[in-house]
Amino acid sequence: MTIPVSTETLDLAAKFPGIVTPDEREGYSGWIVKADELAAFAASLRDDLGYDFLSSVTGVDYLPEKKLEVVYHVYKTTGGPGLVFKVQLPRKKPEVPSLTPVYPGADFQEREAWDLLGIKFTGHPDLRRILMWEGFEGHPLRKDWKEPFYEEDIKPYSSRWPEGKHSYAEDRNPFNDNVQFPKQFDPEKWVPEGDAALYGALAEYRTTDEDGLDTDHIVVNMGPQHPSTHGVFRAVITLDGEDIVSMKPVMGYLHRNHEKIGERNTYLHNMPYTDRLDYFCSMTNNHGYALAVEKLTGIEVPERTEYIRVIMDELTRIQNHFILIGMLLNDLGAYFTPALYAFEERELILDIFEAVAGSRMMCNYFRFGGVARDVTPEILEKVSALAFDRLPRKADEFDRLLTENEILVSRCKGVGRLSSEDAIKYSMSGPSLRASGVPYDIRKADPYSIYDRFDFDVAVRYNGDTYDRYLIRLDEIRQSLRILQQAIRQIPEGPIQTGKSTYLTKTPAGESYGRIEAPKGELGYYLVSNGTGNPWRYHVRAPSFINITALESMVVGGKIADFVIVFGGIDVVLGEMDR
Amino acid sequence: MIDLALVLEWVIKSLVVIFMLLGGFAYLTWFERRILARMQTRVGPNRAGWQGLLQPVADAVKLVFKEELIPARADKVIFVLAPILTVVPATVLAVVIPFGTQVILFGRQVNLAVADINVGILFLMAVASVAVYGIVLAGWSSNNKFALMGGMRSTAQMISYELALGLSFVLVALMADSLQLSEIVEAQRTMWFVVLQPVGAIVFLIVTLAEVNRAPFDMPEAEQELAAGFHSEYSGMKFALFFMAEYQKMIVISIIAVTLFFGGYLGPFIGRFPWLGPVYVLGKVVALLFGMVWIRATLPRIRYDRLMDLGWKVLLPLVLGLVLITATGILLADEFGNSLVWSIPVVSILAGFLTVGLVDRSLRRKFNALR
Repeated sequence: MTIPVSTETLDLAAKFPGIVTPDEREGYSGWIVKADELAAFAASLRDDLGYDFLSSVTGVDYLPEKKLEVVYHVYKTTGGPGLVFKVQLPRKKPEVPSLTPVYPGADFQEREAWDLLGIKFTGHPDLRRILMWEGFEGHPLRKDWKEPFYEEDIKPYSSRWPEGKHSYAEDRNPFNDNVQFPKQFDPEKWVPEGDAALYGALAEYRTTDEDGLDTDHIVVNMGPQHPSTHGVFRAVITLDGEDIVSMKPVMGYLHRNHEKIGERNTYLHNMPYTDRLDYFCSMTNNHGYALAVEKLTGIEVPERTEYIRVIMDELTRIQNHFILIGMLLNDLGAYFTPALYAFEERELILDIFEAVAGSRMMCNYFRFGGVARDVTPEILEKVSALAFDRLPRKADEFDRLLTENEILVSRCKGVGRLSSEDAIKYSMSGPSLRASGVPYDIRKADPYSIYDRFDFDVAVRYNGDTYDRYLIRLDEIRQSLRILQQAIRQIPEGPIQTGKSTYLTKTPAGESYGRIEAPKGELGYYLVSNGTGNPWRYHVRAPSFINITALESMVVGGKIADFVIVFGGIDVVLGEMDR
Repeated sequence: MIDLALVLEWVIKSLVVIFMLLGGFAYLTWFERRILARMQTRVGPNRAGWQGLLQPVADAVKLVFKEELIPARADKVIFVLAPILTVVPATVLAVVIPFGTQVILFGRQVNLAVADINVGILFLMAVASVAVYGIVLAGWSSNNKFALMGGMRSTAQMISYELALGLSFVLVALMADSLQLSEIVEAQRTMWFVVLQPVGAIVFLIVTLAEVNRAPFDMPEAEQELAAGFHSEYSGMKFALFFMAEYQKMIVISIIAVTLFFGGYLGPFIGRFPWLGPVYVLGKVVALLFGMVWIRATLPRIRYDRLMDLGWKVLLPLVLGLVLITATGILLADEFGNSLVWSIPVVSILAGFLTVGLVDRSLRRKFNALR
């Protein structure tokens, strides 16, 4: 039951009479805004009240009430708790004004809500499907949408539990009933309607020079198969020679509808699925999700567990940033040497994950109100050897070898600049936001877990270019080491789990938004419970996905070689972007 | 007088050079992969044969049996021609290089060079430039935008760096007073040219890196930007030919660098044992190749437009200045005594430092303007 503190003191209903009413449902918080007045309300929130950072936009399908709800989470970049406001729409014709004029960072998230829930955002500049393919029929997160191998709404399915007699979906004829097409769909004649819109969105340009020669731009598809898009990301780029004239991102090639799966699952079922979001940082993914469920159920977390969680989070951050630096150098063309140096450190950290969780990458380590296994003194010894000796040394080594390198400096400095205003505007979060001069770190701004007990600084850099995005990773590694060292010194003995760990967590009806400072940015989980053992709505605010909103403004005007490093410097993982 | 034995000698020498390059190419890949691995805290190929020595054979077998694809709308003739056009000049280059003086073999005086022609340097320049056609045509005929951009980059790069390369050849020709490679080597009996013209040697090494498209100047294939650049669409043996050309060029260009600046086949006891010549060449070439691999393992890629800047605005003026310095130094030495020849390295090094300082200053200014 998350109740942002600010709503206690802030009476928006009095400030906006007739437009805003408090959300008085059991377990809910925030404000309900009239759809017509939304844009004016949001502008006033941003300009008068200082809620300048739009964290999340998503929708919920309340099928029994025949309503669709759009949920907005906004925060102040100066810190403090956030504000939730909602717009309720009829399920028949859900239309809501787009917030992109007020918060440009809503762009992709509104497209996602349109794609998955069919909520129409009027005034959105480019409302196309974003995760599903263009010819897809229906909106999969609607509660009355059924997938091809649909059995039941929620797990455990009665065919499998408790008797355990089940048939595998793969055993059925896969060519008849596992694909849904619109009626009269003919794959031979189908032209993806999105392509015309996509290429149309790129700037049209054709000139004739004095000799009568036509000059045209080249449209290049970087991806979905390309060595430097870090996965199946696709960027459609228009080039004038080697200069980028315009860029449009296309994603969804790795989409598996994580959220629909999550709504079928029980709460605990979802934990291993979160590992697969940002597969470099499964520990932090676990943490965000555990936090959201704990907020919903009100489970307290034991002292020792909080320390273990912080240790794991910071180790995750360190290895993620090492890899980022290594891969950024790889994008610059350094033939794998920095990357492999980084991987060497990462392997040592993964050894620790393996020791505590049993798995190196897909840790599945956190539980609601605890963690899966205790950390033995031997493991702690290993962690402290890393935290006090090896990792600080290696961070310095990276610094010494790379920071002053002429080629690195000349290729990164001034490339892909993002001003602090733009960074906030585009809902950029994490290290990329801080590299643009906004000292916003959820660990300090809105502390969760026990981060308020540690003495550390928020790393911040002011130029907002790729070089600063490189430097800030080194700074953050050093700050993480400080936290790690304090946590190792202070970790108390005690239980690691509140109560008995159960397979079936029941939650009271309500909503919760758990957000943490993941290595890549703000990772948020929005949960709506209807009082059963399965989430009614499960939404992931993925930093990789939302940070890409600003990419276009960062690369246009640069060279094609710059696109690669700007993209690498933002730090994205496709598992999380496409979900 | 051309008799049968002479023809036979030529044929045998040509075959030796060709097989040396082929074998050298194969084992250069192994050498590079092992060195890279050591530098990257890995092991490298060590499964096929002792220490992975059969790895090149395994690679060759794999590449030969791979399916060869020709893109549907590619220009087929040029597409097939391009790899051949790239690999032939890389091989032909090696014919003018002297690997030693003369040895007695089966009662014959045998020159350890296939064709020691008197315009050796010109021949090198001419043939080396032909190789770029293969790359451009490959990029053009592939019907692929990335390949086209790779081809374009390589043309621009070649044009920019050919000038500096030609001028550093001029440096050597000035110092040796000859265009014939064997005479250039003989002129280094007293002193290697790298001592006399150290800055020139450094410029030459930088330019050759660009000439053979090695890191940090591997623009045409720039994996992270252009997928694989000009050879994106090539597979199987055609790809192997490009690969072969690149590595053969590396070897040949190292031999040329050794010949021009590092005393070629010269070394201790060469007068008494002429057979040591090829051994010395090999040793020096391996050292240079190691340097190339080391650079590849260390440095990120320079951006394309900065590469052009470096070629036109830094290296070309520098090497022009070096030509002036060298010519003046030689003239002074001729007029006023031999010891004045030392003015060449001293002034050259000063010019080198001046250039580095100016580049550093302009970069600093640029970055300060960004703040």
